[in-house]
Amino acid sequence: MKTILITDDSESIRELLSFTLENAGYKILSAVDGEDALKHLTGGEIDLVLTDLHMPKLDGIGLIKKIRAKPEYQFVPILFLTTESQTEKKEEAKAAGATGWIVKPFVPEKLLATISKIIR
Amino acid sequence: MDQFRIKFLEEAADLLDDLEKILLELEKDGISTGSIEHIFRVMHTIKGSSSMFGFDVISEFTHHLETIYDLIRSGKMKVSKEILDATLVSVDHIRKLLTDENLSNPENISNHKSIGQTIKALIGAENIAKERIAFKEIQEHENSFFTYYILFKPTKDILIKGNNPLFLLSDLQDMGESKVLWHMQEIPDFIQLNPKECDICWEIFLACKESSSEVRDVFIFVEDQSELIIEELAKENLFIKKKFVEHLDNIPYKSPIIDLTDLKDFIQGLKEDESKQKKKKERSIENKTDKSIINKEGIISSIRVSSDKLDDLMNLVSELVTTQARLSLYANNNIAQNELSAIAENIEKISRQLRDNTFSICLIPIENMLTRFQRLIRDLSGQLDKKIIFLSEGTDTEIDKTIVEKLTDPLMHIFRNCIDHGIENKETRIEKGKPEEGTISFRAFYSGTNVHIEIKDDGGGINPAKIREKAISKGLIAPEIQLSEKEIIDLMFLPGFSTATHVTEVSGRGVGMDVVKRQINAIRGSVHIESVIDKGTTITLILPLTLSIIDGLLVQIHNTKYVIPLSVVDKCYEVKSENILNLFDNILDFEGGLIPFFNLREEFGIKMTPPEIQQVIIVKHNARKIGITVDYVIGEYQAVLKPLGKLYQNTDIMSGATILGDGSIALVMDTVQIVKKFSARNVI
Repeated sequence: MKTILITDDSESIRELLSFTLENAGYKILSAVDGEDALKHLTGGEIDLVLTDLHMPKLDGIGLIKKIRAKPEYQFVPILFLTTESQTEKKEEAKAAGATGWIVKPFVPEKLLATISKIIR
Repeated sequence: MDQFRIKFLEEAADLLDDLEKILLELEKDGISTGSIEHIFRVMHTIKGSSSMFGFDVISEFTHHLETIYDLIRSGKMKVSKEILDATLVSVDHIRKLLTDENLSNPENISNHKSIGQTIKALIGAENIAKERIAFKEIQEHENSFFTYYILFKPTKDILIKGNNPLFLLSDLQDMGESKVLWHMQEIPDFIQLNPKECDICWEIFLACKESSSEVRDVFIFVEDQSELIIEELAKENLFIKKKFVEHLDNIPYKSPIIDLTDLKDFIQGLKEDESKQKKKKERSIENKTDKSIINKEGIISSIRVSSDKLDDLMNLVSELVTTQARLSLYANNNIAQNELSAIAENIEKISRQLRDNTFSICLIPIENMLTRFQRLIRDLSGQLDKKIIFLSEGTDTEIDKTIVEKLTDPLMHIFRNCIDHGIENKETRIEKGKPEEGTISFRAFYSGTNVHIEIKDDGGGINPAKIREKAISKGLIAPEIQLSEKEIIDLMFLPGFSTATHVTEVSGRGVGMDVVKRQINAIRGSVHIESVIDKGTTITLILPLTLSIIDGLLVQIHNTKYVIPLSVVDKCYEVKSENILNLFDNILDFEGGLIPFFNLREEFGIKMTPPEIQQVIIVKHNARKIGITVDYVIGEYQAVLKPLGKLYQNTDIMSGATILGDGSIALVMDTVQIVKKFSARNVI
């Protein structure tokens, strides 16, 4: 079973994502911001990181950089959540090492489709 | 979804309270970067989450607020009292929208408008324009294919970003038919090899219905980290073209990246070859006022083969087809042997192709003959002082070479008649208001399993009254007989007929249409004349595509099978034998017409009792219908015609024989001869 780490400061989004992904057969780890997320990245198996960009303490871009700096998580796919009007952020996130993105608002099907393109 | 909505409502309420607190602090204590960040984040969250849970009105409303705070935090805008006021008012409004998400309360509606306008005004026109709104092009594509060339050269660190090129290739291959070439030239030696790097690049050929932007979408996450070329090669599926697939298969193992221009040239070349092939089958109108027909096809490579070799080949192929029919029959009767059926089917397919191929080898285009006619027309028109324009159409129509050889004579006769009797002299033409030059046009085309040759002139046409007169004066018809115009014109086909008042040097001895008819019938064709006085005459020849195959009707009399050519068969009726035998003379009444018939059992001298019900096959003979009786009609049959042996050369009523699938022999009837022979005895 694949494990996905969800990082978002909005509880409702976290819950929605958990619900959708668990029903699709993934194991979910949750974090409320970047710092919290790092607590899960201690060597255990993570198959995908799904993170929002705007969070307190450590935001999305910062989190991505930190993940890429860890040798055991060098290849883990990272998808960030973004709204359509934020193309500069997209480039910044890609430069920091993100694999791809999910556009908000998203329908669950699109979310699952994009994820299945990344982890198989 | 409900539990999430509730969650969202709770969360949103909390966020709004939070926001209010910060805004008030901001007003009192002044700006701090932290607070602006915070406000922006809240706006962002509210905007994103509300759209996720169906609160689109809120999402839209918050959009501009988010923009304002984004601009403030990036230094492009300064916080002002107006902004803070507007934000606070917005907080109240959003609270209300949480319970009126569809904006139905009139008070909310008017607030929504006014606050919205205020906010927009605060942003200023240029900043609104800078807001990027992405939109997706909705591609409407019909059911059409495209073939793409894709060059995908990822940067070395693509793997480190969590992307897997193989997934992308797999996505591409799921879209349609594809061929992938990989290039490993960049992979360093083992010592220098870094497994974390991607050193491979790929070239992909893909045929699918998607547009090129949809193909590009597959690479959406890696586009900026790769060299990506997507070129549309064709607006069709090139993989169905054998030559294209071969070309791709032939690319050697370690070749460098394809030269796209070369590839495009190759595809262009394929298309041109195909359209040339198409043109050969289509009719091309060539309007020439001079004698020569220039061959536009250019040089086609070919070799000479002796006709004997071709004849041998044809014979062998025909026998193959016959034997294969037996094999198929055997396989059908032993259906339990699966492999046998499969093999028989395969052999049938191949032999059919072989036969079609071989027949087409023996076909030559008509235009080879035309030079002779052009020469004739030129000479004659000179001699008779008539100006003639010769037009030809469809000269690339191909006919069996044996037929072509036998066509020359009759065609020459027809042309002679045209020029001599058809086209009037200059003065008469001008009198009639026609152009001085006469036009003779030659047209050849395929129709069904026949070749039609049409020779048209714009001369004086045929005068039925004159024909009738002549026929009477030659004793060919009785004066009181009533004939339709067509039947009168057909009188021209009777032997000994010629309206020329004198035998011209040019036309020779009354080149009767009867001669032409006989020659054309000998190659199993037919002649037809149509004419309008003063307008012109059209002579049409209908010829079979090949002499050695006949489409026929397989019938049985007693225990012998016969084939009657379908071209003469008109209809088929069932009759009780007793009705046939009890007639005084051989005439039957069918659908309101009296049709004479031959009782073939009688004629062939078969004494045994006939079956209760017989079949009468109505065949066309000249313009008339004659019936012939058979026991059974078995069905349609394509017969490979074989000549009868030397001993039977003088048999006139059978034109040959054919070998049936079960190995037995069926005789092919020549209905014309049958009618002639038996009518000599019986008076019709």
